[in-house]
Amino acid sequence: MIAPKEITLTIDGKACKGTQGQTILQVASANGIEIPTLCYLKHLSPWGGCRVCIVEIQGSPKVVPSCSTPATDGGAIVTNSPRLQGLRRLTLELLFSERNHFCPICPMNKGDCDLQQQAYKFGIDSVRYPYLYPSLPVDLSGKYLGLDHNRCILCTRCVRTCDEVEGTHTLDIGNRGVKNQIVVDLNITFGMSTTCTSCGACVTACPTGALFDKAAAFHGPLVKCRQTRTTCSECPVGCGVVVYTKDDRIVDVFGDVESPVNRGHLCRRGRYDTWAEPRQRIRQPMVRRDGKLVATSWGDAVRTIRTMISGSTDWQNAMLVSPRVTNETIRALHGIGVRFDRIAAFVADKEAGCCTTPEFSTDGMSRLQDADAIVLVGVEPSRTHGVIAAKIRTAVRRRGAKLVILHSRRTDLDTYADISASVVSLERKFWKQVGDVLGTAKRPVLIYGPAAMSAVGVTILDRLIKTLGTIGDGGEMLAPIQLPTSTNSLALAAAGVEPVEDVSTWLAVQPLNFLHVLASDEPDGGARLLKEPHVRALLEQIDNVVVQASYESELTRLARVVLPAAIWCEKTGTITNFEGRTLPLQAALPADGEAREDKAILEMVFA
Amino acid sequence: MSDNPKIKVATAWLGGCSGCHMSFLDLDERLLDLAKLVEFTASPITDVKEIPEVDVGIVEGAVCNDENEHVLRTMRARCKVLVALGDCALTGNIPALRNQQKLADVLERSYVESESTQAGDVPGAPEVPTLQTKVRPIQEFVKVDAHIPGCPPDADAIWYAVTELLAGRKPEWTPTNMRYD
Repeated sequence: MIAPKEITLTIDGKACKGTQGQTILQVASANGIEIPTLCYLKHLSPWGGCRVCIVEIQGSPKVVPSCSTPATDGGAIVTNSPRLQGLRRLTLELLFSERNHFCPICPMNKGDCDLQQQAYKFGIDSVRYPYLYPSLPVDLSGKYLGLDHNRCILCTRCVRTCDEVEGTHTLDIGNRGVKNQIVVDLNITFGMSTTCTSCGACVTACPTGALFDKAAAFHGPLVKCRQTRTTCSECPVGCGVVVYTKDDRIVDVFGDVESPVNRGHLCRRGRYDTWAEPRQRIRQPMVRRDGKLVATSWGDAVRTIRTMISGSTDWQNAMLVSPRVTNETIRALHGIGVRFDRIAAFVADKEAGCCTTPEFSTDGMSRLQDADAIVLVGVEPSRTHGVIAAKIRTAVRRRGAKLVILHSRRTDLDTYADISASVVSLERKFWKQVGDVLGTAKRPVLIYGPAAMSAVGVTILDRLIKTLGTIGDGGEMLAPIQLPTSTNSLALAAAGVEPVEDVSTWLAVQPLNFLHVLASDEPDGGARLLKEPHVRALLEQIDNVVVQASYESELTRLARVVLPAAIWCEKTGTITNFEGRTLPLQAALPADGEAREDKAILEMVFA
Repeated sequence: MSDNPKIKVATAWLGGCSGCHMSFLDLDERLLDLAKLVEFTASPITDVKEIPEVDVGIVEGAVCNDENEHVLRTMRARCKVLVALGDCALTGNIPALRNQQKLADVLERSYVESESTQAGDVPGAPEVPTLQTKVRPIQEFVKVDAHIPGCPPDADAIWYAVTELLAGRKPEWTPTNMRYD
């Protein structure tokens, strides 16, 4: 590769170095010169639409948008002059006059709005143009986000984000001239959209109150909230999140741009599911008295459990652990293991196969980021790992990467695939086709999930590794990326905790006298256990069932003792993502009510 | 008694909630300092209706009806410096929300369909000022000399603007002293 040519230009009289191909704005900002912007976002392609970043180039009568004008060697640029300031102010005034920007009743007021902040910088105390007061709709049909066209400045930050980051291109611009408007799909509502994934990236990108989080609206300015950086605990990708809190409650959750895993992007699960969904929290320890669960103190709950567990020396005691628990809780399990005859992790469907040889895929995200061919086997990132799905979509749509999807249920990704086969043929013809598609790949990535852990799946994986192993220049063996379903299942397996998906068989091995279910903050309170055949009946046969969970469920209703567990945003510790990165959890809120962290509960009860 | 004659001030309340006038009263003890320098004439605070010739006219609210426009034009004709106080005067703000609907629909909704109304009727008496089709900010009718943004502007913003005006300067707004909300 040839190193880009270095260029030198003068900006506001200062000699600035840059490289060929950089824009004026990039060179200026690299040299510490600030140019105001509005439609520009660093990680998106430049648009040049708002005209706030205009600059003067010596020798040219025109002003040009610095975000989309290449810097030229020897050029002389002026970023600040009375003429430029006047034009920028005029542009902002026109934006205000064009639609209905009434700050006092905006969900993004009091410092959250870029348009407002720019207007303050220019001291706009009045607009010199007549207001148009157009009659524009507000789309509140989306589950999590609202779109108010009255506050839209058509900067297309949402459109570009949807296209370039999430890769769905749900949003675009419709109509012409003054009737320009953001459209969802082919001009339908968010509620009707089949392509919108509710990733919320458009809301994060919106500079005004045009796109907003419904659950966060009017809960106070984000700039006044406390921000806590932590890690999303919904899946093994381990995206960095920033939790915005006020008065000990969550106002909003955004992706952490500093995170090396997701670089600010999130999926619906991390962005909304964890806080914008109503869930019935367990806030107090409860014990069953006369058939009814009644609230009690920690002391009473602990005494009750200790009596149960020490009933007799030949009692069979067992523990089932959620694969969502932190690494610190996993270590605590080691300490208390002597108390239990059996400890197992109730992993997701087909996930035990992934855990038998817990392999972490180092640099999985960056390999995916650079991949020119992606093969998915038995994994559905659109359903379970949204941020990975976004990476795949953008790889295919923007970089022309090949995509082959085998042995998975259909998702939206199949529409982008070169080959998608839910039922895989083992015929030569089919594999020749696969070979043809992947034949030219230099940086192929093979991602497999729990559903690949079947006889057919493993055969396919073998075939693929042979096919892919013989292509590319590197000569290195292809290292497939294993993508489990549960947050910390690989770390649990690596720590030697047995993964169990067939819980009923596991329970029936030997009759139990005591079972502790550590459901942690499973969104369904651990009730997914009961969906398996016979599990409910088997649990009903056990005299002493303790459930340690964050949310009320059918499972807690079966328990003799219920212990309130802290949820993701109340935990401090670490989890290990599919790449083997140890990622920090930082409590953003104090535990609700009497709830405590899993580790603390285990140590208090069993140590 | 000071030798200098007091500066005469009138204020008017057009289409708005009077929050800006309330905020004016939030000047608290600073009102005493102000009273030494200025004489309040017509104002919702003094309840004097007829606007005399004044040095400074302060107007809160948007122009919603013909009376608003009449008061605004009278104020402009009788004051030397006209100050727009608050977002309604500057942008139309909350009263301008009705601009998105047809006026007839707005009246129907307010006087006939509203949940608290029984057998209502749209008022049509000649004494009631006629609503204009669109609510508009005051600078779309008359020349405005100074602006105080805010909904409502807080007492500090008002104090800053008033002291600047008394010193013969136009208030200059910066990110530290201005806000729209």
